Amino acid sequence: MTQSDMKVVLISSDDERFVVDRKVAEKSLMIKNMLKHVGNNNNDDDSDEEEDDDDQNSEPYEIPISSVRGSVMKHVLDWCEHYKNVDFPTNDDGDLIAEHPVSDWDKEFLTVDQEMLYGIILAANYFNIKPLLDRACQQVANMIKGKSPEEIRKTFNISNDFTAEEEAAIRRENEWAEDR
Amino acid sequence: MSFRPQTTPNVLQDVCDTSNDLHKLLPSAIAQSKASFAESTPTLVAVSKFQKHGDQTQQALEEGSSIFAPTSSKNVTPSLSKNNYQKFCYRHNPEVKRTTRVDEDKMRQIQNSLEKLPIREQEAISNVWSLFSAAPSHHRTLMLQGLLTQCCFPQLSMLSEEVSSLIKIDFITALPSELSLKILCYLDCASLCNAAQVSTKWKKLADDDRVWHHMCEQHIDKKCPQCGWGLPLMLLKRAREMPTAPSAAATVVTPPASGSEAEQETTVTKKRKNNSGKAEPATDIDMVASSSSNSQQQAVRKTRPWKIVYSERYKVERNWRKGIYKAKEFQGHEDGVTCIQFDDQFLMTGSYDKTVKIWNVNTGELLRTLEGHNGGIKALVFDDQKLITGGLDSTIKVWNHHTGQCISTYRGHAESVLSVDFHNKTIVSGSADHTVKVWHVETRTCYSLRGHTEWVTCVKIHPKSNTIFSASDDSTVRMWDMSTNQCIRIFGGFKDNGHIGQVQCVIPLTIKDALVEDEKEGFEEDTASISEDAETGTNDENSEEDLNNKILDDPNYPTHLLTSSLDNTIKVWDVKTGKCIRTQFGHIEGVWSIAADTFRIVSGAHDRLIKVWDLQSGKCMHTFGGNSAPISCVALGDSRFVSGLENGRVKMYCFDDV
Repeated sequence: MTQSDMKVVLISSDDERFVVDRKVAEKSLMIKNMLKHVGNNNNDDDSDEEEDDDDQNSEPYEIPISSVRGSVMKHVLDWCEHYKNVDFPTNDDGDLIAEHPVSDWDKEFLTVDQEMLYGIILAANYFNIKPLLDRACQQVANMIKGKSPEEIRKTFNISNDFTAEEEAAIRRENEWAEDR
Repeated sequence: MSFRPQTTPNVLQDVCDTSNDLHKLLPSAIAQSKASFAESTPTLVAVSKFQKHGDQTQQALEEGSSIFAPTSSKNVTPSLSKNNYQKFCYRHNPEVKRTTRVDEDKMRQIQNSLEKLPIREQEAISNVWSLFSAAPSHHRTLMLQGLLTQCCFPQLSMLSEEVSSLIKIDFITALPSELSLKILCYLDCASLCNAAQVSTKWKKLADDDRVWHHMCEQHIDKKCPQCGWGLPLMLLKRAREMPTAPSAAATVVTPPASGSEAEQETTVTKKRKNNSGKAEPATDIDMVASSSSNSQQQAVRKTRPWKIVYSERYKVERNWRKGIYKAKEFQGHEDGVTCIQFDDQFLMTGSYDKTVKIWNVNTGELLRTLEGHNGGIKALVFDDQKLITGGLDSTIKVWNHHTGQCISTYRGHAESVLSVDFHNKTIVSGSADHTVKVWHVETRTCYSLRGHTEWVTCVKIHPKSNTIFSASDDSTVRMWDMSTNQCIRIFGGFKDNGHIGQVQCVIPLTIKDALVEDEKEGFEEDTASISEDAETGTNDENSEEDLNNKILDDPNYPTHLLTSSLDNTIKVWDVKTGKCIRTQFGHIEGVWSIAADTFRIVSGAHDRLIKVWDLQSGKCMHTFGGNSAPISCVALGDSRFVSGLENGRVKMYCFDDV
């Protein structure tokens, strides 16, 4: 089995199994690091790897992902599939060198309910998929931009826990930014 | 998501109150479900506990709800368990304070509808609910999927509407704070300030130093490509003012969490140059703190929240943009003011009345008058220790401006000294004798740079590239290599769209952002052949191409030049190509003086107008009229500019402290 056609099985918290190309799974730096020592000759260094490797080469490599549920995993892997041939160069800190503008495809992809969007953010963070994390965070930011405090509260169902006095004081404190 | 356990018992309770029959039936329903869902025992325990001890409801619910959460507790990843988000789903997390009013209204509605039904049906419906509430997560999914297949479209439509209004999640509560901060970092400053007014939790994060440090990094001393705003550095001044008392505003805002911002003022201070016309934009702002070396005490004294740092600069920038300023006058000169420079302490002015006056820049008090030149002063430049002046008496004088003592006098020019500049131990002067002289003070050597055919009106040293720029009445600017004393480039001529009048001022700049350029005109190619003579005259040593390559490759060279001329224009030049890329029109008489920083150009002209231009776009942002005489000199700082007039008046425009 060569590295490129190797399959990886990701198992979600609700025991859904996702079989994907290694290339797709490796959009996640977390998985990429995990698979570092799994390659063509995985018989040589399989001692500390999952048992599947030891026994059969043809068995796909299984990774249980207990913190991501199936529906979110599906979204994330769709994203990885879409960008499997795109390289996102990062610097030493792991930050993207160039901020990629959010493409129309991304916008469409991220047009999901808030539960799913935050799920994607948490998963992208866990999987260490920087470009996806960045875009998803930007998507949330866009839901805030240009909104008044009350509109923000409505958007995210937040209760205003300030007293009237506090609210007035905080408004004064932030007045400077209001008029450009 | 799933039906929330908090509310289920509410319904149960309400139903209990209204119907004794139902009350009796309920335990059996639970017993039934107990048989079928053996694994959900904890829930059942919780519910029965609730029935026995009504006052323990809340506790019971919390225990129970962990079962209903989509990711059950055995899957909790420690690193992600902030806010119990992994343990509980957001909706059922007892730590989440949400607006419950909507939910309560909904429950009342449901209750009312339920009560209108016959008891039997109430019982049946309540049964369905309790079955669902007792079911583990994957059973719930199955149940819902089954229900969905039975729904008609109007019911699905109702669902979709209800669901979309239900899934509203406060991400600040739901996500780990690192991720929330990351999201907030994508906001603009107005949105961030609105976010800070949402709730206590939001305020805490939206005011967080990490977010505002990021904002400062994006905006201070450079233009943010997203919003087009850049903020002035303004650091030297603040660093000096800070140690005494924290500003009143700082106490309102959450104090910074750590001392790591202590360097915010000091790191940038060193990059601040003098405020003469040659404000060289700092190449990069490194505000990432290195405060570990700082003593704790210093850290405490100098640390302010980054939001305050930002807002302070924001207010100044807004005043610049809106043209809101406070004017200060400095009165004392008896003849035209010819040269001017200021920093955070001093304003110095030179005049045809043969004196240099040193003022307290903040109070306007005249501190000292320097006399010694036997003619009018035409040029001055100062730093912390010394002041260098050039005058109509053809001499250059070096002064200790703290004592007023003249330290030395340099003679050598055959005519008036019109301009001076210095760097370390080198003084450069431009004169009416057409030469530029380079005075190496330490070795006591002086070189004359010849080439200009008219008065040399302005000289500037560009230390990084070890070059000198000189502007002349011969309508050109020359670039000289200080190590070889050779002219390495001439800026001017018809081909390169040069000035057609005497050049009065030149400023080398390093600009990273793309500038708006004039559109290239169609005839440009046709004129290429005509300009041959200009090209051959340019340079004796290096071929044009070699030089181009050299300048292209060496990042130390300034990228652009700004020039002003008596042809009424200001020009922007590309140093690499030697071409004028932009001409700024607007003054109706000659432009005597310009000054520039990262964001703007200030120009003073014979038409008695002062104009402020946006450096990047070249657009004139403000015109300040009402001056009683032509403007002969201007100087620019972060938050102020100052002008000297031909009738001796000096006026400072302050965009801070308005």
